[in-house]
Amino acid sequence: MTTASVSPPASRLLFLPWLILFAMLGATWFVWDHERQNARKELHTQFDFALRDTVSRIEQRVAAYEQLLRGVQGLFATTGLRNRQAIHDYVEMLRGDPNLSGMQVIGVIERVPSASKAAHVRAIRRLGPADYSIHPQGERETYAPVIQRESYSGRHQAPLGLDTWANPVRRQAMETARDSGLAAITGKVQLAIDNGVEGNPGFIMYLPVFAQGQPRDSVTQRRDSLIGWVYASFHVRDFMASLYGRQAEGLAFAIYDGAVPSDAALMYRNREAAGGALSANEYMVVASHTWTLTLVTQEEFENRFGRDISLIIAVAGISLSLSMALLAWSMISGRARALLLAAKITEELRHMAQHDSLTGLPNRALFSDRVQNKLAHARRHDRRFALIFLDLDKFKPINDKHGHSVGDLLLRQVARRLQDLVRASDTVGRLGGDEFVLLIGELTGAADALALAEKIRQEVRRPYTINGHQLTISCSLGVAIYPDDGTDELALTKRADEAMYRAKESGRDSVQLAN
Amino acid sequence: MNRRLFIALLITLGTFCPLDAAAGPDCSRPFTLALHEHGLLYSADTDSGIDKDVADELIRRSGCKVTTSLLARARIWQLIESGALDFTLSGISNAERDKFAGFAWYFSNKYYLLVRKDVGVRNQADFEQNDKLQLGVIRGFRYSPSANRLVDKLHAASRVSQAGGLAPLYQTLLLGHIHGMIIEPFDYPTLEEKRIRDVTSIIEFSDASVPHGLVMSKTSLPPAEQEKWRALINGMRSDGSMRRIFEKYFKADLAAAMVDF
Repeated sequence: MTTASVSPPASRLLFLPWLILFAMLGATWFVWDHERQNARKELHTQFDFALRDTVSRIEQRVAAYEQLLRGVQGLFATTGLRNRQAIHDYVEMLRGDPNLSGMQVIGVIERVPSASKAAHVRAIRRLGPADYSIHPQGERETYAPVIQRESYSGRHQAPLGLDTWANPVRRQAMETARDSGLAAITGKVQLAIDNGVEGNPGFIMYLPVFAQGQPRDSVTQRRDSLIGWVYASFHVRDFMASLYGRQAEGLAFAIYDGAVPSDAALMYRNREAAGGALSANEYMVVASHTWTLTLVTQEEFENRFGRDISLIIAVAGISLSLSMALLAWSMISGRARALLLAAKITEELRHMAQHDSLTGLPNRALFSDRVQNKLAHARRHDRRFALIFLDLDKFKPINDKHGHSVGDLLLRQVARRLQDLVRASDTVGRLGGDEFVLLIGELTGAADALALAEKIRQEVRRPYTINGHQLTISCSLGVAIYPDDGTDELALTKRADEAMYRAKESGRDSVQLAN
Repeated sequence: MNRRLFIALLITLGTFCPLDAAAGPDCSRPFTLALHEHGLLYSADTDSGIDKDVADELIRRSGCKVTTSLLARARIWQLIESGALDFTLSGISNAERDKFAGFAWYFSNKYYLLVRKDVGVRNQADFEQNDKLQLGVIRGFRYSPSANRLVDKLHAASRVSQAGGLAPLYQTLLLGHIHGMIIEPFDYPTLEEKRIRDVTSIIEFSDASVPHGLVMSKTSLPPAEQEKWRALINGMRSDGSMRRIFEKYFKADLAAAMVDF
């Protein structure tokens, strides 16, 4: 009964710690996910920026070299293609600028139809070198030999006369430049100044030179008025080193010729790339030519920009969730304990209100309650029961002689003996002082009750040992039987009390049945 | 009486305003106009295209000295914003561009998703949902609203490859390195057109046609001058010369659909 009244609210509340745990874990997950997405977004943004920046730096550098080459192109508006001194002086002037160190050579190419090949060779030999010839050897419809080559660094030399038209990669860019009138660059080539030494990929930028005063508004006109090209050649490695600005750290990037990033097309790689979190290909169009730029994030980059505190959030969030759930649990179970205690106290108070504090036997109120119950039961089922009044004989002298404490202990022992003698369904009560009452059910007749009363009388008479004293006491008993001696509590009580007094009057230590 | 005077005044103003516009733009300084290489709009190899024809006609009508150059599209927008460049052609507007550029519309068209047939994409959602598919776009380009949404979404998922022009996009599409790209009617290259048509199919975006026009830098051109250049474009539209330019490049019905909007 006690637990039944306390546990329902407690168990209803027990889901609360779980609710708190799941709610807080949910919130932790939300924050953790948000943080992770933010970190990913930040990494993405930085990567996008780095990609755009890299593309833009390359484009700007190409544009800068194009401008420089336009300067050479512009020279030919005032002088002829074979004015070597002018070109030489121009390059000489540029040498002071370390910004241009990505460039290897500035050169001039003359367009030579096969009909004028011999005259061309003679004319160049007069300018020097005397052994000038067009190579590779062989008769072709058109030649485009290099007639001047100014090394920017002053280090590289190669024989003049290389027919660039005979090289398909160069020729394609030269045709594009001729037809568009704009700068065009080649695919991946080995520069002539490498003299056959491989492993340093290059590219060449061409600008067309048209004859003075000739129309150049259409493709046909431009083809007709073309007299040659100026070009600048580059080693990709040096070109990349000459870019303005700073490459973001922790990014691996590579440049491939064309739109297919294959080993054969690889022009430049800043480092060996380990597979990164983000990668992208950008197909740049640089001076009418496609380069593929591949960019891959490396660990340093990812750690710098993608660093997220999601792990910290997860650990802290889970710990906090568990702590809060535990706290809630302890608060709720504390409440349950408090309720249990209150119930227990209530029960104790109720027990105190219904029992004699000395012997623990039912007091008058509870005994009366039991009598009422027994009466109702006996009436309904046509049963008999006995009410026995018991009064100790000469109890007062014991109190006087040995003190109240011994008297009290004696009362307790009497009470225990009485309880031991009756069945669990019977009731022993104490009315106060040395008066006890017994409610005995399941009787067949008055004889049963008298036999029990007699048994009680003898049991009470047995000596008691209290605080080392041997004590003896007797008692007088009065027995009333329902329904023979009365049919309500008052009548029965009265008859039992009278019988008990008669026992006293007859010399005590005896049993009297109501009559 | 007063009312008559008012009407007379209106008529006078109405007469003067077009006259003022017809007087043409202020040519006291040379202007700059940039073209970008893009399908039928302009090809540097042949130095021809719709934009080139429009530019030639516009320059002729303006009577001004206008230097044309060829630049990357992303660069063009930067220069228009800074005012270093006065004009470009076939530009489309958005909220950001409206801040620094004025527009004079002369044609309108829809955007399409060009996809490889072998990836089994039937609509925009199919493409979006297949994580393996890469979209190719030109850096600096914006499209119609749903095309923009697709690009932005795929970009966030690292599914966009950017290019400096159409040529490498077609090349990589043919190679299967990208699986789709966003195109306009003038985007088919003259070369390889058949090969591309053979391996691709076209999905139309559900957006309305997007107007394209002359882009004028607000930084370098005061509103009154922009209005004069806009009047020149409108003149080219109303007298049929714009339509004739488009008919050089498209079948008559498509040309009409593009310039009459």
